[in-house]
Amino acid sequence: MKTVSPYALEEYFSSGYEESHNPFITKDSRKWGKHVALAGSIVAFLFLILAYATKNISFPLSSFFLVFVYFLAGTPSLIRTLEDIFVWNINIQVLMTLAALLSVLIGGELEGGLLLVLFSLSEALEESVTQKTKGALNALHKLSPMSAYVISSDGSLYPKSVREIELGTKILVKAGEIIPLDGKVIDGSSYINLSHLTGESIPVSKRIGDDVPAGALNMDGSLSIEVTKTSAESTLSKIIRLITEASESKPRLEKILARFSRQYATTIILLSLFFGLVLPIIFSEMPYIGTEGSIYRALAFLIAASPCALIIATPTAYLSAISVCAKKGILLKGGVVLDALAKCKILAFDKTGTLTTGNLTCLKTEMIGNDLSDEEAISVASGLERSAHHPIANAIIAYAKAKNIKQKELNDIKVISGKGVEGYINGNKALIGSSEFILSNLSSEHHKNEIAEKLSYSGHVVTLLLYKESVFIFHFSDEIRPHLKKTIGKLQEKLRVVMLTGDHTENANFVGEAIGLKEVFAGLSPEDKLHKIRDLSKIKPLMMIGDGINDGPALAQANVGIAMGQVGSSTAIEAADVVLLRDDLANIEWLYKKSIQTLSIVKQNVIFALLIILCATTLSLLGVIPLWLAVILHEGSTVLVGCNSLRLFLR
Amino acid sequence: MSMGSHFKGVGVLEHLKQARKKGYLASSEPHGIEAMGHLMGGADAAREVAIASFLLTILFLNLPISLNLSYSLISLFLSGLFFWKVGRSASLGWSRLERINKLIEDEKEEIETNRSEEKEELTEIYEAKGFSEPLLSKVIDVLMADDNKLLGIMLEEELGVSLESNEHPLKQALGTAIGFLLASCAIFASVLLFQLKGIFISAFFIIMIASAYMANIQKIRILHQTVWNLSITFLAGASTYFLCKFFVSL
Repeated sequence: MKTVSPYALEEYFSSGYEESHNPFITKDSRKWGKHVALAGSIVAFLFLILAYATKNISFPLSSFFLVFVYFLAGTPSLIRTLEDIFVWNINIQVLMTLAALLSVLIGGELEGGLLLVLFSLSEALEESVTQKTKGALNALHKLSPMSAYVISSDGSLYPKSVREIELGTKILVKAGEIIPLDGKVIDGSSYINLSHLTGESIPVSKRIGDDVPAGALNMDGSLSIEVTKTSAESTLSKIIRLITEASESKPRLEKILARFSRQYATTIILLSLFFGLVLPIIFSEMPYIGTEGSIYRALAFLIAASPCALIIATPTAYLSAISVCAKKGILLKGGVVLDALAKCKILAFDKTGTLTTGNLTCLKTEMIGNDLSDEEAISVASGLERSAHHPIANAIIAYAKAKNIKQKELNDIKVISGKGVEGYINGNKALIGSSEFILSNLSSEHHKNEIAEKLSYSGHVVTLLLYKESVFIFHFSDEIRPHLKKTIGKLQEKLRVVMLTGDHTENANFVGEAIGLKEVFAGLSPEDKLHKIRDLSKIKPLMMIGDGINDGPALAQANVGIAMGQVGSSTAIEAADVVLLRDDLANIEWLYKKSIQTLSIVKQNVIFALLIILCATTLSLLGVIPLWLAVILHEGSTVLVGCNSLRLFLR
Repeated sequence: MSMGSHFKGVGVLEHLKQARKKGYLASSEPHGIEAMGHLMGGADAAREVAIASFLLTILFLNLPISLNLSYSLISLFLSGLFFWKVGRSASLGWSRLERINKLIEDEKEEIETNRSEEKEELTEIYEAKGFSEPLLSKVIDVLMADDNKLLGIMLEEELGVSLESNEHPLKQALGTAIGFLLASCAIFASVLLFQLKGIFISAFFIIMIASAYMANIQKIRILHQTVWNLSITFLAGASTYFLCKFFVSL
């Protein structure tokens, strides 16, 4: 039986009533709702080509095709224009629609259609870009459970909305479930995976008294939790808020542009009215300004002033750059990203999953006691971990394989939730797991002190094996991505490169030294990372590369957020402006160069388009050039701007 | 979950989903877009008069026929359309009532013959509404105690058919007739004032007002609906006009 996800309605609301998320539409047919505006604009563009192609063959046939252009591209524009006019918001949208519709009156139907199609194409592209913030919130909503099982006073369980759960309420989280609210463990023990929250894929052991964050996955045992933060204050809600705030703090530039467009549109419309209606009354006898042809000239002015070339000046350049980037496996969420990227002077890297692969490698081993050979210890450890699938187990098994050491056969292997694994060899007990777990099973005080001393200065992830009263320490480190030193070296020639990580200082420095990165900021919480990004951004524009959900706010706050596509969490990907689909950091340098080139072409296009608008409007208003020449100048500038943008695509 | 013959091999929830779909179809107009009620019927009829007059005028303007013949043909077409719209409105209303009657009979028979399955369905419905034991059993017992009450509840909960939500077909047909006649009068008056061009002007306003009114009744975006309806009218009219020109020129 088909079941509707309990989050379907919430996703629908947070998507802004997107048809592709509409739970009232069957799943199979929801795809029809994706990119409808863009598809409509493309179909309108095809009809426009047909209208142009048949123009000299048959006027009625050409007009028949043009009707569809006006219907498909014009209706949404007209609706938005009327909505804007009703709230007295006169902007470029109003100007474009007005110019396109009025152009019909002076025989410029095709030019009007072209204006509408170009405008609707740019609007549709912009719309698909703005979906990213909504998408990011959707990913978080999916991660956040809506209800929790409350443990009542008589021990029975009943579901309750997380929004209604108060502080101090006891809830049960079974294995495989996501922890719904921040709390303290009051019963049970388990490993929880924080990969969605911190980007660290290593499972963390949680026992009675430990704090657990909302959004983490409970991996193996049941946990009874006392709620310490309500739904509104939970870690996950905080991250959602941080992402929303960071994303909302971005569109300041957009607001400035909107204000400029409002002034531009209002001025052009008022000037058209002035030239068409007022000027002829004042100077009725003067040539070119008098009543003769004044309406015609005013309309020609309005069309010439429609920023057609200006409107395509930026999208075509960005589209070309985006296409080239896509071929390189770089996904850009909107062309504006390239603008911001070109201005960046600082590059901040997250460590785990970005500079490192997120997998662990066994660095070294240490023996406490004398009853065990290295080979035997590794053989027992890999035998104990053979059925486990977490990164530590994988690293031990890989280490044993690399050293050609066979796994020992153990009996009665038992996983102790949140602590480790135990098994028996010929009646001898073997234990592997966290330091606390091993120390609690160790009788020798001398060994205990020695282990505590060794662990106190180790910055690495460790796991301990206890067998025949001897303890064997395995030290692990993140696996560094290959060929990184050369890439970092090249980037440091152009940019200030820093590493921001939540990991231990020693481990972070180890990775930094290995790849030649000098500036390392370690031990940062998601909030610290955000503050650091803010501080660094104040000095110079910054791009941030990360992968974990904790990087979400930082990625959204950075001038440009870059996510690692293959290993990254969906939230990091959604919150970022750029996604590296191939996780190849060498592409960063190439992308940086391409962004500078794009910005330069955009500037050339804008200056050229503005100059043409200035010339065409002035000359057509003065009657120096006929309308057809004004239109040719207008359309010619559009073509030239487009060709200039194509240079980006060809290179 | 029982998968008996009553549920035709599907689960109770899937059966409920199918039943609600059946109920929805029964209470809507499967053969037309006309929404229920005399006001909606009237607005829809007015809009259709306008679009028909508009398209016919475009067609006749491009054909080698006299103005008087054009008026006569449009008037004759509209009188035929009037009887079709009014008759269809009443017929759709009666068909809907008959479908609902059939549903009631089927449901009544099910209550009498498949009581245990009906109880299971009711339990699923109220469980989905958040009722849990022991309250759930008590609620089901109370509802199952009276067959008439149970029938009403099953019609509303299982089939989604609400009681007292349909108008009499004759009232609906009268609304359609009035809407049609008012729109025809408006078109006639505008022809007296502006000749054939008057049809375009009145059609524009009738479609605009009727669309806005229908959007208002349905509580949906008025501007959005009105502009889309006018745009579709423009598409229909302009494509007819240019195609006609094209074929005449061949």
